[in-house]
Amino acid sequence: MPRYGFVIDLKRCYGCYSCQVACKAENCTPKGIDWARCIQAEVGQYPSALRQMLPTVCMQCDDPACMTVCPTGATTKDENGIIQVDKKLCMGCKYCIMACPYGARQVVANWETYFPDAPGDLDPYEAYAKKRWEEGRAGYGMATKCDYCMHRVKEGRNPACVDACPAKARYFGDLSDPESEISILIRRERGFQLNPEFGTNPSCYYLPPR
Amino acid sequence: MRTEGSRTNDSGWIYTSCGGCYGQCGIRVKKENGVVVKIEGNPDTPAGSGRICAKGSAQLMTLYDRHRINYPVKRTNPEKGVGVDPKWERVSWEEAFDTIVTKFKNMKDPRGAYFQATTVQTSEIRFAVPAFMKAWGFKNYWVSGGGLWCGNGAHFMNGIMHAAWSIIPDWNYNKYTIYFGCSKGHGAGHAALQTAQWVADARAKGMKAVVFDPFLSTQASKAHEWVPIRVGTDAAAALGMVNVILNDLKIWDAHYLKQKTNAPYLIKADGCYVRDPETNKPLVWDLSANKAVPFDAYEMSLDVNPDLALEGEFKVNGTVCHPSFQLFREHVKKNYPLDKVEKITSVPKSTLRRIATEFAEHAQVGSTIVVKGKRLPLRPSAAIFFRGSQGHVNSGWNCLSIDLLNQILGAADVPGGSMGHGPPVSHGHPATGKPNTIPYACPDGLLIVKGWVYDHKPYPLHEPGPPQRLDLQDMFPCSVYNAFTICTPEWEKYLKDFKIDYRPEILINFGSNSVMTMANARDVTENFLKKFDFILSFNIYQNEFTEAVADIVLPDTCYLERYTPCVTFPSTFCHPTGMDDWVWQIRQPVVEPLFERRDFNEVMLEIAKRLGIQDKYYEAINNIIPIRYGGEMDPKYRLDPKGDYTWQQVVDNVLKDRLGPDKGLEALKKTGLEKWPAKVEETYWRWFAPVRVPIYFEYFIEGGQKLMKVLKSFGREDIVDIRFYTPLAEWFPCPSHENASGEFDLWAFCWRPSFHTQSSTQNNPWLDEVSVKDPFVYLIQINEQTGKKKGLKDNDIIWIENPDGKRIKGPVKLVQGMHPEQLGIAGCHGHWARGTPVSRGKGVFYDDLINPDLKHTDSLTQGTDACVKVKVYKAKEGEI
Repeated sequence: MPRYGFVIDLKRCYGCYSCQVACKAENCTPKGIDWARCIQAEVGQYPSALRQMLPTVCMQCDDPACMTVCPTGATTKDENGIIQVDKKLCMGCKYCIMACPYGARQVVANWETYFPDAPGDLDPYEAYAKKRWEEGRAGYGMATKCDYCMHRVKEGRNPACVDACPAKARYFGDLSDPESEISILIRRERGFQLNPEFGTNPSCYYLPPR
Repeated sequence: MRTEGSRTNDSGWIYTSCGGCYGQCGIRVKKENGVVVKIEGNPDTPAGSGRICAKGSAQLMTLYDRHRINYPVKRTNPEKGVGVDPKWERVSWEEAFDTIVTKFKNMKDPRGAYFQATTVQTSEIRFAVPAFMKAWGFKNYWVSGGGLWCGNGAHFMNGIMHAAWSIIPDWNYNKYTIYFGCSKGHGAGHAALQTAQWVADARAKGMKAVVFDPFLSTQASKAHEWVPIRVGTDAAAALGMVNVILNDLKIWDAHYLKQKTNAPYLIKADGCYVRDPETNKPLVWDLSANKAVPFDAYEMSLDVNPDLALEGEFKVNGTVCHPSFQLFREHVKKNYPLDKVEKITSVPKSTLRRIATEFAEHAQVGSTIVVKGKRLPLRPSAAIFFRGSQGHVNSGWNCLSIDLLNQILGAADVPGGSMGHGPPVSHGHPATGKPNTIPYACPDGLLIVKGWVYDHKPYPLHEPGPPQRLDLQDMFPCSVYNAFTICTPEWEKYLKDFKIDYRPEILINFGSNSVMTMANARDVTENFLKKFDFILSFNIYQNEFTEAVADIVLPDTCYLERYTPCVTFPSTFCHPTGMDDWVWQIRQPVVEPLFERRDFNEVMLEIAKRLGIQDKYYEAINNIIPIRYGGEMDPKYRLDPKGDYTWQQVVDNVLKDRLGPDKGLEALKKTGLEKWPAKVEETYWRWFAPVRVPIYFEYFIEGGQKLMKVLKSFGREDIVDIRFYTPLAEWFPCPSHENASGEFDLWAFCWRPSFHTQSSTQNNPWLDEVSVKDPFVYLIQINEQTGKKKGLKDNDIIWIENPDGKRIKGPVKLVQGMHPEQLGIAGCHGHWARGTPVSRGKGVFYDDLINPDLKHTDSLTQGTDACVKVKVYKAKEGEI
């Protein structure tokens, strides 16, 4: 069984937010919900300061803190290492949101339109997106998160953020295969996990910015 | 909600072209049961190769934006002005057409019409705008984004030097790039998706990038080195580095200079060429023969290295003369020593010297490479520029000076060097030989572009003469449009002084929001827009422009609802630069236009028909196509002036004419594109095209003299500073550089985030969501140490005021990535229109600081200066 993983090359990323918006478009996430975020901050002092870009996804940890704290058993890890949230079991207690050291989970109470100042019904796309959100694996009042676009992966495609990335800074593949592209990149290009000291063994690796 | 598109239950992918910015990458659009549900990159096109940026994905929210205009409306409030409520009232298309036609028919003088259009829909403006202008008989236009967001300096200079609209490094081979005020490869709409991959690949292979920028931009952050520079001093930095390379390092590409530039042309005391008395050809000095010979005495070839003088003093028929290269070298030595350059730019001279040295060494002058069987020079150094360099009084010379770094090293349109973006040279589709855009030489041997975006080519210079246009633009030799005439209270005086015998009457606006993109909103509105009797506007949103001044607003389609025959030619911003295939991409509707929206080109055709000028309109299109799309039209596909065409039929004719009879609209709708292989002679065209470029701009002397003669005849020599018409590259200061007042102690400038396009994307809620979370876009960035000295902290609301008393307000972010004497603002934000509630009040409206008057205008290109000296102070309690 493959253990799916990500490699994000910080050398290549230039912080354009294409991943974040592509994820929203692919997964019809409601207002305020971003499963693939691009966090940006300035580091260092003038004149050698830098803008650091840090794109994130769910780390799909091997030892996920979110799963340990889940009181209902809604959070599980599937055979590919993807952390799933069972819509029927999640009661929205948000323990997992507190527990996840990477801020990968969000909860949304209901569908808010992106056009609150416009009168009338939702536009055809928002109506479609709302329906897909409600009928899909996520929903309201429950923990939601990135699942590496498993619906695309099952069709043999990459997660949406990987295919969108203009700089080709994102790679998706099988961590359990030492000859996969991502395993080779991690080995050869000093791949690292974010905050390994949290002890969750993330499936998302980063390549250093310099 | 009635949406015609959802009446059809079609599902599947449709292949078309993005319209989120002028890059126009290839996309595919997914529909489910008639609803557009996803936009992705088209994996089959070299214009993007399947990738998509934030703006592209987010266009779904523009297609279905519930704030879009769905029906024609008319203004019922007679008052016009910034912030006025127009009190729109819905009208029928028939009433709108009747009003428009009546207004045109009742014009006092047809010349009093004016077109204003957006550069975001750059492919759409190439038909209806010029066709209607020619058919109705007027010459006035403004391309929004011009002056401030786009413009005269960069495109004009790139046309002269690279036959192109813009330049970009050849990242396939480049090892060293110097950026001045541009973000190519980092989200700028210059083949955005392809170049993002290539620059990342190049960095991974060790390409070194150095970014001169007043602030820590995205590209500066990704570069090996950020060099904070004082705004608007780019030419001084570039010429200082040219000085180091030519006079200290003594490195130049003599072969290139002799064969591909006018460096060997002999110059006499008056600054002009020494010419052959019989043929009038410029002369060069043949060292072997020890005599002057015509510039074209030797075959132009990589294999021929003629023994021509680049230095020395010679006498031709008793006239003392010098090769222009010698004059240029002496000029930079005398006028751009590093001590002086350091004072102008604030960049330490040791830094300038080191970067100049690295740049010259990386150029590997003398090296060659074989690409697809052709031996070519390899010059892996490039210096590039764009908006940041040109938005100054020294607009034209800033751009030219930077490109001279490339030219002295032969690093132009050869592997590794600076490349005309496009590429500009196309031999055409194998079936038709069109578009054919091979540059050719003027009698003096200098490059003339073949295909060009507007009618007046950048070279030969436009012949100055008594102006016909309302902005006097046709009087100037080097530019396309200006703001200093039309946007100032002096407009009427200019019209009187220059004996213009008609006045502005009707403005037709396509998609532009000039109230936010020309200069200070009130200057633009009061001095320019309110002078029109009637304003007709095509828009997808009611914006600051329509609310301030439009009389009738027509609901335009967005790019997902319309046909466009071609987005990738003229090849300005779409094609990557390299050996990738050529692609001809169309735009086709992915849904039928929703509500009563109608396509701009279709409506203008209808207006032309109702005015009874469709014959002239068709004839104008027949004349436009060869200029824009390189090559004469097959008579079979020319529009019959007596015919009756729909817009789709026009599109079909264009496609069959350029690509062959089997490549009409129906054929191209299946894949959205047609591809064919690129040749080495096209991509790396420099040594294959028999043309030279100037390093010495001799013809500016004559251009300037002719202009002054015209100005003198009207008693207005005061509107041009003749010093700008010099043959040798110069840095001229902006008013901001000369304002010594201690009170105005900061320079303000604006920048562009990669996830917005000019003023057109801020109402997109997905992009707004990104902007809210981004740490910079909606805030005023000030260097932390500077800010603290002024008692500022994050999120303080401050006023920024210029010496004319114009001021803007917004929240502060103290940052490290900012030159200590400057402040930066993301441009085109801070909307206030009722029609765009998502964007209202977000960010800061920079342009209100810009004074578009004569003193802020480049005398050479008439571009507008966008840097401002300011003072900042905290807003009072009641002002927040």
